Amino acid sequence: MVRLITHNLLACHAKGCTSNNFPLRFENARVELREAEFNGDFLQGFLPKIEWNALVDTAKQLGDTSLPPEQPEMTDDEFLKNLHHVLMEIHVEEGVMICPNCSRNYPISNGIPNMLLADYEIA
Amino acid sequence: MRYLVVFAQAHNDFRLPELCSVAELHAFTIDFYGTCDPTRPYMVLDLAEEAHAQILARRCILVKSVYEYYADGSSYDQLHELTRANRGQWEKYIPDTSFRFNVTAYNHKIPQSRQRCVVESFAYMGFLGKIDMKHPDIVLACFEEYLDRHETTRAKYDGDGDFIHLYFGKLLEEGSARSLISKFDVKKRAYFGNTSMEAEVSLLMANQSLASPGKFIYDPFMGTGSMAYPTAHFGAFVFGSDIDGRQMRGKGNPPGVLRAAAQYGIDSRIVDLCTFDVTNHPLRCGGLFDAIVTDPPYGVRAGAKRIGRKQELSPARMESYMEHRQNPQPDDQPYIPPTKPYELSSLVADLVLLARYLLKCGGRLVFFLPTVTEDYSELDVHQFLCEGMEVVGNSLQDFGSWGRRLITIKKVTDIQNAAPILHDRDSSASDLDHTPAHQHFRDKYFQGFKQRSA
Ligand SMILES: C[S@@+](CC[C@H](N)C(=O)[O-])C[C@H]1O[C@@H](n2cnc3c(N)ncnc32)[C@H](O)[C@@H]1O
Ligand SMILES: [Zn+2]
Repeated sequence: MVRLITHNLLACHAKGCTSNNFPLRFENARVELREAEFNGDFLQGFLPKIEWNALVDTAKQLGDTSLPPEQPEMTDDEFLKNLHHVLMEIHVEEGVMICPNCSRNYPISNGIPNMLLADYEIA
Repeated sequence: MRYLVVFAQAHNDFRLPELCSVAELHAFTIDFYGTCDPTRPYMVLDLAEEAHAQILARRCILVKSVYEYYADGSSYDQLHELTRANRGQWEKYIPDTSFRFNVTAYNHKIPQSRQRCVVESFAYMGFLGKIDMKHPDIVLACFEEYLDRHETTRAKYDGDGDFIHLYFGKLLEEGSARSLISKFDVKKRAYFGNTSMEAEVSLLMANQSLASPGKFIYDPFMGTGSMAYPTAHFGAFVFGSDIDGRQMRGKGNPPGVLRAAAQYGIDSRIVDLCTFDVTNHPLRCGGLFDAIVTDPPYGVRAGAKRIGRKQELSPARMESYMEHRQNPQPDDQPYIPPTKPYELSSLVADLVLLARYLLKCGGRLVFFLPTVTEDYSELDVHQFLCEGMEVVGNSLQDFGSWGRRLITIKKVTDIQNAAPILHDRDSSASDLDHTPAHQHFRDKYFQGFKQRSA
């Protein structure tokens, strides 16, 4: 944790930051790989929600290049296996996530990101 | 096929919703036979397949056992007559099946001598197999249901025979899901807190959420994670968040929620834990989750709050505050933003709106709503519904003057609404003319639910 499935869902939500606020960029990421249970239905259910470019780029940034640059229309076992690994098995345990737009930092400690806004950052 | 379900003596109001949820999850229907009264411990129902009855026995927390139905009646004459008529169902056991015969009662204890008489009264069935108390091939059971005589004291066997109804059947399967109550016992958990939810109720919530392998389930008030463990146990992947990260972390590393999940062998299904105020969440899209299962803060043990100030700072103070925030000193990390109270009726309305946004079509929102028993009206629930969200379960856990209702709401629209903006509303100046019993619940709780004069 933070797994890339979660990272693919988190956008900067600070006041006024409404465009170019995704994906957050990892910095000083301490990555751990942990095996996770494979579930094809779960992956299929999540597929339509994925921001593909963000996922591919972030995986690359963390050293995984197994995903195709374009989201394939047909999914085969090989693809789902790689997708599973990228979404579920790459964990960022420490580091920060930085908004590409406003540079707001979201720190991660013990695998839990702090996405809490300050009172003056609330829209 | 007709079956007799014997319920555990707990949470009566949750029995029907649980049966229906488990049936919906496994895509079969239940036909309830006769007047099905969920306050009574025996229920007769029709199912298309034996496998469905087994599913109920294996998944329903409140099912004690499931019997193949042979007969019921208000007198032994009726019971025997029907048993004879249903001979086709049991005659295959006549030649050489070993059996045990149980005679038990609900709300009563039958003296042994009469238990023997009851067994003998079934002699016409003519079973030739041997009686085997330890390892019989089949178990036959006759149940006498007595009225609850509440507090009235009486001698042990008083009123013997004054049953209101009788049931007779052959054991199909003992309920096996009840053993999960002890498995998920909070006291045996590696990590818990004073907000942890008792195991039985969190298991019931997991069943209401239709948790199953491959589902994605969210708890926005994660705390120590009580809802996450049973839902993940049933195979779902769980995402949790809380405004207060310490609730999920506890002391030490890995975080407490993960330690407890590891104890149950489900840590890989805890997808992630995040710290944020659910009214200002960072999720970039909706339609994500199959269910949202949660115990919102209702202010008794853990008060509801949201980021903000009770009173705005003056411009001058705001400026110096911002100055300080932008040049943080090492010792004021991590920053804990100020919070303000979050009135329960606003929170619940927000939760339903947010769930409509975050759930997939067909997804469920399962949560507890505290309420003042005397003031509750059905309107309380309808008031916080919005278009596309339908109540499918509403079960009361009664603590006397107050109680809590487990509400199950289904998202029935496939319109993907825009993310709701959860404004502050002034609940006291509500434009609605109905005041729900859960409004200002915390104040009412600490006033002891005294009648409030206007
Ligand atoms: C009743 S407790 C939930 C307990 C949890 N089921 C458990 O097993 O411990 C409510 C939780 O909601 C959190 N909370 C309160 N206000 C919140 C908000 N605005 N956003 C997110 N979490 C909040 C509290 O920190 C608390 O942990
Ligand atoms: Zn930003």
